[in-house]
Amino acid sequence: MEDDAGTSVIELAEISKVYETGEVAVQALRSVSLVIREGEFVAIMGPSGSGKTTMLAILGCLDRPSSGSYKLVGEEMSTLDETRRAHVRGERIGFVFQAYNLLPRTSAYRNVELPLVYAGVPARERRSRVLAGLGEVGLSDRAGHLPTQLSGGQQQRVAVARALVMRPSVLLLDEPTGNLDSASEEEVLGLLERVNRAGATLAMVTHSNEVAERASRIVRLADGEIVSDEQVGGPLALGTR
Amino acid sequence: MTAIREYWRIALGALRANWFRALLTALGVVIGVASLITVTAVSDGASAQISASIQRLGANVVEVDGEYISVGSRQSATDRVITPGDVAEIAKLPMISIAAPHQDIESQVVSAGRFRTNTWLVGMTPAYSAVYNQRVVRGRGITSADVSFGREVMLMGLDAAARLFPGQDPIGKTVRVGSHEFEVVGLQSRRGQLSDENLDNRIFVPLPVVTRVMLGGENTVHLSVRVTSASEVASSQDAIEEVLLRRHALPPGYPEDFSTQDQASILEEGQAASTTFKALTFALGGISLLVGGIGIMNMMLVSVHERTREIGIRKSVGASPFMVQAQFLIEAIVLSTLGGIAGVVAGIGAVGAIGSLAGWETLISVPSLVIAFAVALVIGLLFGYYPARRASRLDPIAALRYE
Repeated sequence: MEDDAGTSVIELAEISKVYETGEVAVQALRSVSLVIREGEFVAIMGPSGSGKTTMLAILGCLDRPSSGSYKLVGEEMSTLDETRRAHVRGERIGFVFQAYNLLPRTSAYRNVELPLVYAGVPARERRSRVLAGLGEVGLSDRAGHLPTQLSGGQQQRVAVARALVMRPSVLLLDEPTGNLDSASEEEVLGLLERVNRAGATLAMVTHSNEVAERASRIVRLADGEIVSDEQVGGPLALGTR
Repeated sequence: MTAIREYWRIALGALRANWFRALLTALGVVIGVASLITVTAVSDGASAQISASIQRLGANVVEVDGEYISVGSRQSATDRVITPGDVAEIAKLPMISIAAPHQDIESQVVSAGRFRTNTWLVGMTPAYSAVYNQRVVRGRGITSADVSFGREVMLMGLDAAARLFPGQDPIGKTVRVGSHEFEVVGLQSRRGQLSDENLDNRIFVPLPVVTRVMLGGENTVHLSVRVTSASEVASSQDAIEEVLLRRHALPPGYPEDFSTQDQASILEEGQAASTTFKALTFALGGISLLVGGIGIMNMMLVSVHERTREIGIRKSVGASPFMVQAQFLIEAIVLSTLGGIAGVVAGIGAVGAIGSLAGWETLISVPSLVIAFAVALVIGLLFGYYPARRASRLDPIAALRYE
């Protein structure tokens, strides 16, 4: 496709995923190939069971493909052992989930600090990076708050700060606004657009057309196969408006 | 390594976030360690008491007791087989420093006015006081003159005195023993218990009053000797036996009409019994620690299950299997360590309470504290390992989806 649009961050080549559940084998992905380039904001859509969540799990090194090749910034991921995959998840991928997935009874500060701790970043450096990260999402004054003391939108912004704190190659979002009211949704989408404009690569699973339209590209899946892949307006087009 | 410090911080943070569950989990270890310390302190106290008894009641004492003998239909008329001649010859043995014949009446009702009590009467001489380190707290002891003149005077144990003369000074008062009236001349210092026997319920009168006047004759059942040193105790027993066998000239085929026993071995028998008791109670404490350990494992497994999502989150932000395992293992160790510390404190408290409530002799030794604590630590490691391993192997995607 766009050979001129910068280096590829994600390269999926003929990725298949088969779940063996007892006697029935479910083919969640059928030989899917996809390239996501630096700075793209890709929405992955499709009805439930289409394989979009499986694809996100494989992209996030949370799951392994049954066959095919997955390269993250040129490095093959499908053959890494669990420890190496953990390092990749911590240092090169940021996750934002529908259910926020903040550690309970743990302050916003500590949640954002978590990837830095696992990556072995020295304590002095951690502090400035966590505070900068919370500042980026506009929650500097909520550092000491527990998740239960934050609104849904605020919790998701903490999750975004945590996902970004390691400056990952790609941000993976699984229905990031699925649990939010429309005001909070706008808050989070606005934040994601800003992050994307600043250069981050985003891949987001969503079932909402409205949300998907904020992306620069929409990939549609059905029955484990890509059925459409189109460029749309959104942040990348904003600059030309 | 700074990484280890981080794992500690993560583990402590997770424990703080679930402090109530942590408390309950540690409780099993607290109880195990506390009971281990308590039983050890109680049995060590008993052993120490026995050792102290040996010193207080006289070390290097050999007791010779006359025995009834029977062969076929014949039975000796009496067990009062130890004669003054036997005593004199035994006293001359080189390794014997004192020989003290005495005649005991082990259950003797005595009275003073309207008070009656059952006591252990000892007919004795000043030699007896010397053998058994007997001390007098008030008045005087039994003297050679009392013995020579057969005076009806009495030295009383403190408990016997308290029963006959409640709230009064017994010195100078009269105690009736059968048809005899004794004047109380002194009170024996507190002696305490010897196994289940109250040594303060004894009363002491001059030997001839018991032998000649009350029972008739000169012989005694008992002879207690002080041996010059502990290493001579065994050889002194052989020498005493040799003297008595020769002097008693029993017909061939007759069993010996006496037996010898050294007091230390009597006490050590008690000690052996208490060693068995100690082993048993220690095993019991060990079992409660084991139960505590299984409690930790159970709680950790429940905790791993309940925190499946947390584990998924941690893995999604970069925690490797090793890091997750380290976190849970450290949590288990922290729990058992804190449980161990609390157990040591609770154990010391329990020992103090037992000491003051039950009045038992207790002894807390530092090694027992260290051992109990170390066992708690090892148990934390042992029983924390499996749940930690399980946590580390959770599939991140399944863990994240877990509700």
